[in-house]
Amino acid sequence: MAGILIYSDQDPLSFELLTAARYIAENTGAAVKAVSINNHAQAEALAGRGAESYRIDGKEIILEDTAAVARALKGAVETLDTDVVLLSANRRGKELAGRLAQMLDAGCLSDVNALAVRSGRIECTRNALGGATVAVQTVTSKRKVIALSAKVFAAAPDGVGHISDLTLDVKGSGIKLMESRAKAEEAAHIETAAVLVVVGQGLENRKDLAIVKRIADSLKGEVACSKPVATDKKWLAEDRIIGLSGKICKPDLAILLGVSGQVQFMVGIRDAKTIVAINRDENACIMQNADYIMTADLQDVLPELSRALTGTVPS
Amino acid sequence: MNIVVAMKQIPDLQQIRIRNRCPVLDDVPLTLGKIDKNALEAGLKIRENAGNKGRVIVVSAGNRDIEETVKEALAAGADEACIVVDEAASDLESSISAILLAAAIKRIGVADIILFGEGSGDNYSGQVGARVAEILDLPQVGYAGNVETTGRTARITRVLEDREEIVEVELPVVVCILADINEPRIPSVSQILKAGKKHKEIIEIDDLTMETSGRRIETISNLAPETARKREPVNTCGALCAVLEKEGFWAR
Amino acid sequence: MNFDFSKEEQLIQKAAKEFADKRIAPVAGNIHRTNAMPAEIVDGLADLGMFGIPFLEKYGGGEAGYLSYILALEQLSKASAGVGMIISVNAVGLAVINVFGTEEQKLAYLPQSIDGKKIMSFAFTEPGTGSDPKQLTTTVSRDKDGYLLNGTKRFISNAGYKGPMVVVAKESDTGKATAFVIDKFCDGYSLSAPWEKIGAHGGGLYDVYFKDVKIPAENLLGQNGGGLSALKIAMIYGKIGLTGLFLGQALAAFEEGLRYANEKMHRGESIGHKFEHIKISVADMAMKYDAAKWHAYHLGWAADNYKDPLQLAKEAALSKVFVAETAIDIARISMGIHGSYGLMEDYKISQIWGDAIIGPQVEGTAPLLKIMGAGIILNG
Ligand SMILES: Cc1cc2nc3c(=O)[nH]c(=O)nc-3n(C[C@H](O)[C@H](O)[C@H](O)COP(=O)(O)OP(=O)(O)OC[C@H]3O[C@@H](n4cnc5c(N)ncnc54)[C@H](O)[C@@H]3O)c2cc1C
Ligand SMILES: Cc1cc2nc3c(=O)[nH]c(=O)nc-3n(C[C@H](O)[C@H](O)[C@H](O)COP(=O)(O)OP(=O)(O)OC[C@H]3O[C@@H](n4cnc5c(N)ncnc54)[C@H](O)[C@@H]3O)c2cc1C
Repeated sequence: MAGILIYSDQDPLSFELLTAARYIAENTGAAVKAVSINNHAQAEALAGRGAESYRIDGKEIILEDTAAVARALKGAVETLDTDVVLLSANRRGKELAGRLAQMLDAGCLSDVNALAVRSGRIECTRNALGGATVAVQTVTSKRKVIALSAKVFAAAPDGVGHISDLTLDVKGSGIKLMESRAKAEEAAHIETAAVLVVVGQGLENRKDLAIVKRIADSLKGEVACSKPVATDKKWLAEDRIIGLSGKICKPDLAILLGVSGQVQFMVGIRDAKTIVAINRDENACIMQNADYIMTADLQDVLPELSRALTGTVPS
Repeated sequence: MNIVVAMKQIPDLQQIRIRNRCPVLDDVPLTLGKIDKNALEAGLKIRENAGNKGRVIVVSAGNRDIEETVKEALAAGADEACIVVDEAASDLESSISAILLAAAIKRIGVADIILFGEGSGDNYSGQVGARVAEILDLPQVGYAGNVETTGRTARITRVLEDREEIVEVELPVVVCILADINEPRIPSVSQILKAGKKHKEIIEIDDLTMETSGRRIETISNLAPETARKREPVNTCGALCAVLEKEGFWAR
Repeated sequence: MNFDFSKEEQLIQKAAKEFADKRIAPVAGNIHRTNAMPAEIVDGLADLGMFGIPFLEKYGGGEAGYLSYILALEQLSKASAGVGMIISVNAVGLAVINVFGTEEQKLAYLPQSIDGKKIMSFAFTEPGTGSDPKQLTTTVSRDKDGYLLNGTKRFISNAGYKGPMVVVAKESDTGKATAFVIDKFCDGYSLSAPWEKIGAHGGGLYDVYFKDVKIPAENLLGQNGGGLSALKIAMIYGKIGLTGLFLGQALAAFEEGLRYANEKMHRGESIGHKFEHIKISVADMAMKYDAAKWHAYHLGWAADNYKDPLQLAKEAALSKVFVAETAIDIARISMGIHGSYGLMEDYKISQIWGDAIIGPQVEGTAPLLKIMGAGIILNG
C-alpha cells in the first residue's frame, strides 16, 4: 500500500489522525505523512509527535476556500505517493472531504466513528438511515478519503519527527473572506445541552447543589432536575424539569443523581446516548435503564466526585 | 437568476421500523431529505429577495419513483424539476449521484446558485455538493447559515463549530445549506394539486453518455444498534471518572 | 381493490400532519385549558387551504376530494378536536349552499368560506330538539320584501365567527321547515356565553338568539318548505367531516396507549412486554383503529365516487357512528393501560376521552342514525 496522508485545520484533531494513521499503517505497512497548510506551528507540533511533517505554503490557499485547500491536498497526495487521506470530520474537514474525493476519483466516508483494519480492509463505522442503523463500510477504490470523528483515537504521544517543505502551485477559486467572528455564547437550555447533571429527590441537602453545579461545569454541562425538586422543593427553576411535564432532552451524557426513574421522568431522558445513574437503592427503577450504575449514597459520592473531576469541593 | 436546488429521495425516516435489528423499508413512503427542504426554502427566499426574478429548479437523481416524489418540492414552491431516472438505482452512492446531478445541471444550462443540504436525510455524508462543485469547476461554500446576493456577487455566512465567517464570491457558486436555518413552508392544498402540472424534465440514464465508473464503497453490514442500556456497575468515583474519560466527556 | 393513496392525497395528509405537529400540538394544551382557538391557527389553516379541500376550484377550493378531506381532518383533529369541529361545521354550510344555492348565492358565499376567511355555521338544533324538524320553534314570517326570523338555536358551532350561517326554521304560515342563509352578527343576532363542554375545546359552541332578523328574499336556499332536504344534505356531508374528526381521536387514543405501554416499566420491563392483558389491549386498539380507518377512508372514497349524494346517506350515518363509537372504545382501552395516571390532566388520554365521548351525541345521536340506516337497509 502506498502512504497515508493526514490533514486537519485543528491541531488536536490532527494529533488524533496521526494515531489513526499509525494504526492503519501498523496493519498495512504504509508510510504516514502529515501536511499543514500555512501553519508552521502545526507542522512543528506534528513533528514533535513523531510525524513526517510537510509544510505547504501558498497565498491563495486560504482555509475559507475549500476548493483551494483540496487542490493543495491533491498535489500532496500525488507528490507524496499516498492513497489514503485521513481528514477530521469537523465542518471544514467534511466540506473538504467530498471535494478532494472527487478530485482523486476516490470513494469517501465521513463522520466515521470507529475504524478497524480487518483482512487488509479499512472498515469504517458510521450512522446510517438518519441514525436508525449503524453501517460498517469500506472504500473499495484505490484512493480513499476518510473523515474521522473526534475522539475515536487518542492524540499521538510525543516523539521525534521531521519537517520538510512541499512546494505546490495552487490557485484559489475566488472566495474572499470578509469577516470572521467567534460565535456568541447561547443562553443555556437543558434541551440543547450535550451534558446534563440531573438532581432528584435523593439529593438531601440543598447546599449540595453547589457541588452539583461544579460537577456540571467540569463537564461543560447544565444542571437539570426531576419534577418534585422544582415544583415541590423549589430548589431549581421549573424550566429545568425533565420529563412528561417538563422538557424532552437528548443529551450525549446524563448523570442522574438520586432519581428513581419513573416513566414520567424517563420519557424526557430516554434518548440520551449515555446514562449514568447514582442511587442508594440498587433496585431503583433507574438502575435497569442506565449504562453505568453506581450504588452509593450521594452524601459520600458528591464531594468525592467533585474532587476527582475538579480537584476541589465548593464549600 | 436560476437557482438550482438538489434534493434527494429518501424513505420517510420516521416510518422506518426495525425488526431483528434490520430496517424494514417496505411500505415506507418516499420523501425528500429534511435538510434538502431547508435548502429549497433558502432558494425560495433568495429569489424573493432578488425581487422574485428567476426560477427555482429542483434537480434529483433516483429510481422512477422520483417522478412522484419530486411533487413534494414542486408543491412547496419550486417552479420546475429536472430529474435523472436510473431504474437500477435504489441506493445511489455519493460519487455516482454527483455525476448524475452534474449532468442534470448542465442540461438546465444556466445555474447561478446551486444549493444542497449540508447532508442527506438518510446517509448524511455531505459529499455530493462538494463533488458536484468539483465536476462543474465551481467554488463552494458549505454550512451556509445565510445567503444574500447583490448583482453577480453572493455574500454567504459559513457557520463553523465555534466561528462564523462571511465570504463573498462571484456567481455561479455551489452552496451547502446548514440544517434548520429556516422553517420550510408547508405546501397548501391547491399548491399540492398544481404540483403535478408543473414542468418536469426527465432524463433517462441511458441517454447520458458518461462514465460513472462503478461503486467506490462497499457496505459490510447495516444494523440497528443494540438499544438496551449497558447496566455496567461502577464502584468508585475514580472508576466513574475513567468511564467519563473513555467516553470522551472529560479529560484529565 | 386498490387501497393506495395518490401522491396528492399523501401530500395533503402530510401537510395536515406537519401543521398539526408544528403549529397545533404545541398550543393544544392551552386550547384545552382556555377553550379558545388562537386566531393564528385558524389563519394558518386558511392559508393551507384546509377549509376548502373537497370544494370546486372555481370557488377557490382544492378540488382534492373527500378522501383527502378525511385524511387531513384525521391528522388535524388528532392534535385538536376543536380544529376538526371548526372545519367540519364550516363544510356543512358550504355543502348545503353548494347543493341548493343558485349560482349567485354560490359566488356570494362559497369563496370566502372555502378560503377560511369567513367561517360558516349551520343552525338546526334548538332547546327543544336536536333531531326532529317537526318540533322546530324558530320561525320565519313573511315581511314586505323578505322574511323576519325569530327564535333560539342551541349548541351552534362557529356562531362566534363572522360569516354566513345556514338556518333551518319553520315558516309561520305553512308550518314547514325552510333553509335560509344569513350573515352572523346582523341586526337582531346575539349570542349566549360559550358553552363549557366536556371536549372539543376551542370549537366554540353557543346559543344564538334571533330577534326580528331581516332576511332578504334572495337568501332563501332551495324551495320554500325544502328545509328537510337541506337538512339531509347537511347531515350527509357533516358526517364525512365528523368521521374524520373522530378517527383522529381513535388514532390519538391508540398512539397514547401504545406509548404508555412501551414506557411504563414494571420490574425492569415495560408493561407492554410484561403483561398479557396489556398486549391484548394493544391488539384490540390496533384492530379497532384499522377497522375505523377503513370505514372512514371508504366513506371518503364513496363521497368522491357515488353519483347521487343521497346514496351516501346510509354510509355516512353508519360510518360516523362506527368510527365515533370505536374511538370511545379505544380511548377506554387506552385509559385502562394508563392506570390512574390517565385520569390526570397531564396525560393526553384524559383529554382525548372527553373529545371522543362527544362523537355519538352530535349531529344526530347514534341510536337515531342507526334507526335511520336500518330503515334504508330494510327498505332496500
Ligand atoms: C401526571 C404526572 C406527571 C409527572 N410528570 C413528571 C415530569 O415531567 N418529570 C418528573 O421528573 N416527574 C414527573 N412526575 C413525577 C414522577 O412520577 C415521580 O414522582 C418523580 O419523577 C420522582 O422524582 P425523583 O426520582 O426525584 O424522586 P423519588 O421517586 O423520591 O426518588 C428519589 C430516589 O433517590 C434515591 N435516594 C434517596 N436518598 C439518596 C441518597 N442519599 N443517595 C443516593 N440516592 C438516594 C432513592 O433511592 C430514590 O430512588 C409526574 C407525575 C405525574 C402523576
Ligand atoms: C360540540 C357540539 C357541536 C354542535 N354543533 C351543532 C351545530 O353546529 N349546529 C346544530 O344545529 N347543532 C349542533 N349541535 C347539536 C347536536 O347536533 C344535537 O345536540 C344532537 O343532534 C342531539 O340533539 P339533542 O341533544 O337535542 O337530543 P334529542 O334529539 O332531544 O335526543 C334526546 C335522546 O332521545 C333520542 N331520540 C330523539 N329522537 C329520536 C327518535 N326519533 N327516535 C329514537 N330516539 C330518538 C336520542 O337518541 C337521545 O338519546 C352540536 C352539539 C355539540 C355537542
